[in-house]
Amino acid sequence: MSEGEEGPASEPLDLVRLCLNEEVYVKLRGDRELKGRLHAYDSHMNLVLSDVEETIYVVDDEENDEGDEKIRVEDDQEIKSVTKKSEMLFVRGDSVVLVSPIEKS
Amino acid sequence: MAAAAPTASSLLPLELIDKCVGSKIWVVMKGDKEFSGTLLGFDDYVNMVLEDVTEFDYSGNHTKLAKILLNGNNICMLIPGGEGPVAAS
Amino acid sequence: MENGTASQGEGRDPSGFLAEIIGNPVTVKLNSGVVYKGELQSVDGYMNIALEKTEEYVDGVKRRTYGDAFVRGNNVMYISADS
Repeated sequence: MSEGEEGPASEPLDLVRLCLNEEVYVKLRGDRELKGRLHAYDSHMNLVLSDVEETIYVVDDEENDEGDEKIRVEDDQEIKSVTKKSEMLFVRGDSVVLVSPIEKS
Repeated sequence: MAAAAPTASSLLPLELIDKCVGSKIWVVMKGDKEFSGTLLGFDDYVNMVLEDVTEFDYSGNHTKLAKILLNGNNICMLIPGGEGPVAAS
Repeated sequence: MENGTASQGEGRDPSGFLAEIIGNPVTVKLNSGVVYKGELQSVDGYMNIALEKTEEYVDGVKRRTYGDAFVRGNNVMYISADS
C-alpha cells in the first residue's frame, strides 16, 4: 500500500483473493480442516466453499454420533478422522486458522 | 476540582511501559506462557517488539528467540526489569 | 509520550520491525502452539499474515507444507525473525 507496487499479495487478504474459484485448504480451530472451492470471502475470513470435504480429527472413539454420510477411520498413530462432504458451506471467520491454495498437480 | 488522580506522581500505564524501552522486561501471558527480553518498542495495542527473548513454556522449557513481534492480545502482565520466572524463583 | 518519535527507526516499534522483516524467513507461533516457518510476504493491522514456502510444525514435528498460506491474525502469538 505505502509502496504502490502492483505485485500479488501486498497484503495478506490479497493471497485469499487469488484463491477465488480455486481449490483451497482451510484449517479451522478444533482440529478440523476443509478442502473445497472458494466462492467468496470477506475481511472477517467468513468463507463460502463448494464441493467441500470436511475432516475432523478425533481423539479415540465416539465418532459414531457424527455418523451421517461418509465415515472413514484412519489408524495412523491413534489419531482418527471423520470426513463429511457438503455441496455448499458457509464458514464463520472466527474459526479460521489458515487458508492455503491447493497446488494443482 | 475533585481531580481523579494525584497529578504530580501519577504515571499512565503506557508511560510506564515507554520508560521500559531499551530495558529488560518480563511478559506474562494470559495462558501459561511467559517471555523475557529487551523491549525495543510497542504500539497502542501493546504489541511489543522484543530482542534476545526467552520463551518459557508451562512445562518449564526455555526457547531462545533473537527478535520477535509479540501479539498484545494475550498479554496479561508486564514486569519492568524482570528476567523471567527463573530469576524470580 | 514525550519523545515517542525517538524510538522509531529500523525495527524498533511493531510496524518498523515488520517492514524490516518482510521477505525474510520467519517463525510464526500460534496460541495453539502450532508453529509455521516460512517467508513473510505481508502482514496487516490485524496481524493476518501471508507466508510463502511454509512448513507447519505440531509439537515440533513437521506436519505439512504449503506453497502459500494465509494465517488469521487472532491466532498469532508471535512473529519471530529467523536469524
